[in-house]
Amino acid sequence: MRILVVEDEKKVASFLKKGLEEEYYAVDCAYDGEEALYMVEANDYDLMILDIMLPKIDGLEVLKGVRDKELPLPVLMLTAKDSIEDVIKGLDAGGDDYLTKPFAFAELLARVRALLRRKEREPSGELQVADLVLDPVTHAVSRGGQEIELTAKEYALLEYLMRQVNRVVTRTMISEHVWDYHFDPMTNVIDVYVNHLRNKIDLDSSQKLIHTIRGVGYMLKG
Amino acid sequence: MAGFKTIKFRLTLWYVVILGIILSSFSFFLYFTLSDSLYKGVDNKIKTMAEIVASSARNPLGAGPSISDLDRIMTERFGIRPLGRYIQILDESGRVGGRSTNLRNVQIPLSVQTLQAASKGKTTFETVQVTAKYPVRLVTMPITEDGRMAGVVQVGSSLEGVEDALQQLLLILLIAVPAALLFASAGGLFLANKVLRPVDEITQIARQIGSGDLSQRIRIKRVNDELGRLAATFNEMIAKLEESFHRVKRFTADVSHELKTPLTILRGEVEVGLKKKRALGEYQRILNSNLEETNRMSRIVDDLLTLSRADMGELTMEREEVELSSLAREVWGDLQILAREKGVQLQFMGDGVTKVEGDPLFLRQLILNLTENGLKYTPSGGAVELKVKGDRDEGVARICVSDTGVGIAQKDLKRVFDRFYRVDKARSRETGGTGLGLSISQWIVQAHEGQISVKSTVGKGSTFTVILPLKD
Repeated sequence: MRILVVEDEKKVASFLKKGLEEEYYAVDCAYDGEEALYMVEANDYDLMILDIMLPKIDGLEVLKGVRDKELPLPVLMLTAKDSIEDVIKGLDAGGDDYLTKPFAFAELLARVRALLRRKEREPSGELQVADLVLDPVTHAVSRGGQEIELTAKEYALLEYLMRQVNRVVTRTMISEHVWDYHFDPMTNVIDVYVNHLRNKIDLDSSQKLIHTIRGVGYMLKG
Repeated sequence: MAGFKTIKFRLTLWYVVILGIILSSFSFFLYFTLSDSLYKGVDNKIKTMAEIVASSARNPLGAGPSISDLDRIMTERFGIRPLGRYIQILDESGRVGGRSTNLRNVQIPLSVQTLQAASKGKTTFETVQVTAKYPVRLVTMPITEDGRMAGVVQVGSSLEGVEDALQQLLLILLIAVPAALLFASAGGLFLANKVLRPVDEITQIARQIGSGDLSQRIRIKRVNDELGRLAATFNEMIAKLEESFHRVKRFTADVSHELKTPLTILRGEVEVGLKKKRALGEYQRILNSNLEETNRMSRIVDDLLTLSRADMGELTMEREEVELSSLAREVWGDLQILAREKGVQLQFMGDGVTKVEGDPLFLRQLILNLTENGLKYTPSGGAVELKVKGDRDEGVARICVSDTGVGIAQKDLKRVFDRFYRVDKARSRETGGTGLGLSISQWIVQAHEGQISVKSTVGKGSTFTVILPLKD
C-alpha cells in the first residue's frame, strides 16, 4: 500500500515516513500544496495524509483539487486546528478522516488501516484468500494454519495482491502500490519478489494461488 | 414581567401612594373647610334674623312679646315670608308668645341652661332634632328692655341644604378619589412600561451576550435621551469587548498552534523510536531533535511570559543613562560569528551623541532582535547594516537596521508586529524564530516612549527604524 504524506514540517514528515515504512507501507513525502497536487497526479496512491496549513497551496485547496479530478483517494487530514468548525470544513471539503496534532502514532496507524479497509469494502480487519490469511494489524501471515515468515517487501506485495484478489495486476501497478518513487522500473525486482513469495506460500500446497499472466503481470486466485 | 419587585411596579406604587396621600389630604381639607363655612353661614343668617326680630319685638309692639302675627311682621320687614326659618318668641319664663306659621305642629325645645344663659344676656347656638329627618340649627337670643330680659327670641333654620350638600360632596370624593387613583396607577404603569422597555431590551441583549454571542447590539431608537446614551455606551463597551475577545481567541489559537508543532514532533519521534530496538546513533538523532524542539518550546514560553508580563504592567523598566551607539557596537560584536556563518556582511555605524534614558537590558534585546531578524532573512552574500545616529535638533536618537534580504510584501507590512504573525511560516521555523520577536521589540520601544516603523521592498530588503527621545 502506497501512501503520500503531505506535511510542510520536515521533522513531522520524516517520522511519519519512517513509522509508516516500518509498517510495510511505501511512503512518499510532499512539502507543500503544489508538490502534493503534482505527485497525486503522477502516481497512484492508496491513501493521502494531508496537513491543512501548507505553503503555496492550502491543504483544503489540495483536497478540492483531488476531489475535482475524481480520484478515489482516501484522505486522512492532519492538523493543529481542532475547533469543530475546522473539522467540519475539512470533512466537507472531501476529507475521509481527521486527526489533530499532537496525535498518538498508534492511532494514526489504526486510522490508516480503517481507511484502507473501507476503500476495499472489507468488513473485518483480516484478509483471506482460500486458506491464506493476512492480518494487517499484527502483520501475521498463515496458510492452512501454518505461520509464514515474510520480509517487509514480501509482506507489502502479498497484501497488495490479496486486496486485488481475482484481478490481474500489472508490474506497473505493483511498482506504484508497493514501492515508493525511488523504484527503478528497469529492474526485475518485482519478479524476484513474486518468486520469493511463491516459494513461501505455494510450495507446500496443492492449490497454487499466485498465477503468472503472460505478458501482463500476475493474479492471486482464490 | 418579573413580579412585584420590578422597578416598573415600585415606581407605579410610589406614584399611586403619593398621589393618594395628596388627594386624600385635599379632600379632607375641602370637606371640612366647606362644612365649617356652610355652618357659619347658617349661624350668621339666623343670628341676623334673631336680632331683627328681637328689636322689632321690642319697639313697635311695645309691651311684651305678644306676637301672634309674626308672619305679618316678617312680610313687612323683609317683603317675604321667612320660608324654612322657624321663629318663636317667648316671655322671660319660657312661655311661648308668638311663632311663625310653619311651626304649626312642631315644638322647639328650650332648655333650662339656654334660658339661664339668655337671662344673663348671652346668645346660645345649638343644633336640635326637631323633625325626624334633618336637624335644625337654633339661636336663642334674649330680648332686653332696660337692661332686663323681657323675653327670648328663637330662630331656627333647617340644616337640610347644608347636610345634603356635604353628603353629596363626600359621595363625590369617595368615588372620585379611588377612581382617580385607579386611572393614575394604570397610566403610571403604562408610562413606566414605555420608559423602561428599552431597559428590558438592554437586559435581553446583555443576556444573549452573556451566553457568548458578542455580535449582538442594542437597536437604538432615540439617541439623545438618557436611555439612548446608556444603550450607545453599552454598545461601545460590547464592541470593545468583542474586539479584545477576538484578539484573545486568535492569540490563544496561535499559541496552541505554535506549541502543538513541537509537541507533535516530540511525541511522534519518540513513539516511532520506541516501536522497536534501534541503533545507538538512531537514538542519539531522536534525542538531539527532541532537545531542539524542547529548546524551541522554552523560547516560545519565555517570550510569551515576557509579553504577558508586559501586558499586565508587571515588567519594571530601569531608568538609567544608556549610550545607544556603544550598546549597538556590543551587539554588533556579538553577532559577528553568526553573520560569518551565514556569509552575510554585518556593518555598524555610530554617529553623534546617542544618550537616552532607559533599561539597558531591554534596549540591548531590542537591537539584538532587529539585527538578528535582518540576518535571518538575508541570504548568503547579502549585507545587514546597523546604524545609530543622534539628532540634536529633533532631540531624538535613531536606530536603523537595513538588510538586503527577501523583503516584506505590502499587505504583510502592517501585521509584522502582530504576535505570531509570520510572512513565511516554513522559513521562520527553520530559522528558529518564535514569531514573537518583533512584538517584544515593539513593546520595548513603546515602553521607552519611542516609535518603530518598517519600510520594505520585496526582493530588495527591509529597513526597521526606531526613534527614541534623547536624554537632555
